[in-house]
Order: sequence, then structure tokens, then C-alpha cells
Amino acid sequence: MRTKERIVYSSFYYMIFAPALLVILFLTIYPITTILYDSFFKYHFVTNVRSFVGLANYTQIIKEELFQRSFLNTLIFTLVASFSEVILGVLLAFLLQRRFWGKRVANLIIIFPMIISTMVICAVWQIFYHFEIGLFNFVLTKIGAQPVGWLTDQRVALFSIILVDIWQWTPFAFLIIQAGIGSIPSDVFEAAQIDGARGSQINMRITLPILWSQIILVLMLRTLDTFRLFDKVYALTGGGPVNSTQTLSFFIYREGFTFFNFGRASAASVITLLVVGFLALFYIRNLLTEE
Amino acid sequence: MQRLKRNFNKIMFALLLVIVLAIILIPIYWIVNTSLKNPREVINPIPSFFPKAPTLANYRAVLTSGLWKNFFNTVIVAVSSTSLSIVIAFFASYALARYKFPFHINRIFLIWVLVVRILPPIVLAVPLFTVFNKIKLINTLGGLIVAFQTYTLPYSIWIIYGFLKALPKEFEEAARIDGAGPMRILLLIVAPLARSGIIATSILSLILAWNEFMFALLFVRSPRLLTLPVVIARYIGEYTTQWGELMAVGLFASVPILIFSNVVYKKQTEGFSMNLK
Repeated sequence: MRTKERIVYSSFYYMIFAPALLVILFLTIYPITTILYDSFFKYHFVTNVRSFVGLANYTQIIKEELFQRSFLNTLIFTLVASFSEVILGVLLAFLLQRRFWGKRVANLIIIFPMIISTMVICAVWQIFYHFEIGLFNFVLTKIGAQPVGWLTDQRVALFSIILVDIWQWTPFAFLIIQAGIGSIPSDVFEAAQIDGARGSQINMRITLPILWSQIILVLMLRTLDTFRLFDKVYALTGGGPVNSTQTLSFFIYREGFTFFNFGRASAASVITLLVVGFLALFYIRNLLTEE
Repeated sequence: MQRLKRNFNKIMFALLLVIVLAIILIPIYWIVNTSLKNPREVINPIPSFFPKAPTLANYRAVLTSGLWKNFFNTVIVAVSSTSLSIVIAFFASYALARYKFPFHINRIFLIWVLVVRILPPIVLAVPLFTVFNKIKLINTLGGLIVAFQTYTLPYSIWIIYGFLKALPKEFEEAARIDGAGPMRILLLIVAPLARSGIIATSILSLILAWNEFMFALLFVRSPRLLTLPVVIARYIGEYTTQWGELMAVGLFASVPILIFSNVVYKKQTEGFSMNLK
């Protein structure tokens, strides 16, 4: 290329790259630097009172029982939900490995839950979980058991939310794992069969090890996604009963948008970001070494 | 004996498959089922699997209450935020795929885009609320369209970048030798070649935007500007006894995206494994 043409081309590339860069800077870098800054202030959005308090927001929040509870709940939710989803997703992918009539339709139906809006899903599960008119308690009383306060009993509520998440996102794990199985060359299976391996042996000894990196990847994706849990808490329990379903995202939401304590909300956000960053580091390292 | 075992296996498989499909379909069926019941039947402590006296009253009530407006809000926001993302992402992805920016910008930017996908959105909501409030974007659909870029843009860049990276350069080089300018090449040669990838990405992004809840909840307050997910959340909170109407709204919010299930099935897997080279 001639020099003049080269200049035209490189300025063209800068030009078409600029909008994305600006939008990403505005929507992510700017907010993150703002919360870092605001977290050192006592800052109320409505009264607009702002005074420097150093690390006070952090030390206060960390000592609060509600925050600790939110942190613990988020961890429980993240671990139980993501592991269950990945394990069930792998089992489901193994189950649907064989050819059968209607496989295509079955595959499409299985991914319905991950396409429907979380709010619609929560609305249906609200009815299922309803103490008096819900399907679950109807079945329980039918078989002679005591009805359960699915969303009103503080020992149960978090697990009821976990169950909804498992229903919604196991299909995602299934989808990725199934694609992984599909990309394994078929002669691997044929060779195993010739050597006399049975179906379950092939799954455990051959397919599973080959899929391992894929499984870890789905697990990480689900971990990071479940860690931000907000929608389901908002729609199903509002954080109750007795804060038993409070999560980090919900804590930030309440500090920010119910009490308008933007300083405290920012400090909680920074703590959340540190945890997410820690998780993300593994994730990105894994993605990069994958190649 | 061997055959008996094989048949037994087949029956077990069919049984398991039916159970799996039932677990998935019952909640979805329940949306339709409940939406066709009258209010008295809905609160009957013995839930019925079929509406005893099917009625369209819930749909009528919902449609006359001005739900159309919310439906169109959702369409407008989903379509606009997707179009915006696709255009910006297409341009940026092309630049990243074909040009090496200084200071490892390509790699840093792509990794950062990945990080954005991971961030809990509530973390961004507090500071963005302040800025949006200053520039008068709070309580407007335009504000939502901008805010939704935090979801749709990284997602679109991921997928389109992967797609353009895999595209052979020969066509572009041939066109350049023929004297076509860079913008002409991009729009007349690259865009048509990348069409299927762009359409798939648009659909995935549409679904994301259609279902988005958090920014829609926090950044818009007037009832006439709400999107469907927020309308549903309000129903759950305020009129907890109107289950039939709630399910009717739910159906309106689900059907337009369920028809894309096929695309999601084929394309979702490409969305998360990005080639960073």
C-alpha cells in the first residue's frame, strides 16, 4: 500500500472503532471510577450532602449483620445453584446423546426456560410456591405431608429461589455441554466401542475427561451469573423473610435506590467488584490458556 | 435376553425424557392454563390442570388496561438498543479484526469487553443513575436504550468479532485493488458476507434487551413508559390476587421471543467462547 492509502486506512479504522470505545468507557470505566471515589464519601443522593469519611463506609458495612448475611446468602446461592446446574446439564447432555425420534423438538423445548423473561418465570413459580393455592403444597398435603412455606419460611426461601434458577439455567449448561460432545470426533467413540467399552464407561472414562475444560468454563460462567442474583429476589421474596434471601446485589439496590445512600452503596459495590474480579481472573486466565 | 435388556433401556430412556420434558413444560403450560381461568378458579386450593370454564376475560382486561403501550415500549427499546449495538459492534469488530492498534489495545479491549459481561449490573446502576439524571435520560426510553448497551454491546462485539475474524480477506483485497474505498468495502463486501452472523447476533441481543429487568426497573418510573418485565414485577407486587391477568401479560411477554428458540439453540454456544487471537 502506498503511504497515503495507509494513512487513509488507519484513520478509517480509528474512526469506526471510536464509538464502541467511547460507549464502553462511558458505561463501564466511568461508573467504576465513580464508585471507587464515592465510596470514600458520606453521600446522600436526594439531600446531596457529601463529606469525606475515608474508609468509614467500608468498616461500617463489613461489621453489619445484614451485609454479612447478604454475602453468605450470595455465596450459598452461587455455589448450590451453579454446581447443580452444571451437574444436571451434564447428565441431561449424556441422556440426550443417543438418536431418537423428535430429538430436535426436544432440544428446542429444553432451552425454553432460558429464553423466557425471568419475571414471567418468577410469576409462575410464585403461584407454584403459594402457601394456600400452590401446586407444591397441594401435592404435599395430598401425600399426607405438612405444607411448606416455600417463600415465607426463612429456612426454605433461599432454596426455593435456587430451585427456580436451576430450572431456568440448567438448559444453558446442557446446551454448551451438548455442543462440546458434538464436537468430539466420532472415531473416538467408535474406537472405544471396538475395545468393548459400554455406554456408561464411555461417558465416564472418555467423554467426561475430554469435556473437562468445557465443564469448568460453564461452571465459571454460571458462577459469575448467579453471583449477581437480583431479579429473582426482587420478584419472589423482596429479600425476606427476615433477610434470609438478601444478596449482595439486593443490598446495593436497597442502599442505593431505597435509602439513596450512594456512598454506602458504592462501598458495597466495590467489595462486590473485588470478589467478582477475583472470580473473573480465573475465568479469563482459563479462557486465554484455552487457545 | 440381550433384546429384553435393550427394550428395557429404551423404556427407561423414554420415561426419563418424558419426566425432563414435563418438568420444563409444566410451568410454561401453567402460564396458559392460569391465564384462561376465572379469578375464583385461580384461588381454588385444589389447582386444576385444565380450566373448568375457559375464559378470555383476563386477556380482555389486560389489553383494555393499556398493556399495548408497554408492549410497544418493550419493542421500541429492544429493537433500538439492538440496532445501535449491532452497528457499533460491527464497525468496532471489523477494526479490531483487521487492524492492529498500538499498545495492545485490541487485546485489552476484548478482555475488558469480556469483563463487562461478568460485572453485576447493579454495580453500574448507581453511578449511571447520577449521570443519566444530569443529562435528563432518567424516565425516558432513550435512557434505557443507552443503559441496555451494557448488556447488548459486549455481547454483540464478542460474537461479531469472532465471525469477522474467521472471514477470508481475499474479497476485501480484490475490491481494494479495484479502487474501492474502505467504507464501501465494509458496507458492500464485508456486511453481506457477515449477514448470517449479524442476524443471529441481533436475535440474541433482542432477547437480552426484551427481558432486561434491572435498568428498566430503576431508570423508568412513569407507568406509561414501563417495559413488560417491570409491568409483570408490579403485578406480582401489587395485585397479587390477579394471577389470571398476570399470566396473560406473561404470555404476551414470552411468545414473541420463544419463536427464536431455534436460533438460540444454534448460536448461543458461540457466544461465550471467543477467540482472542
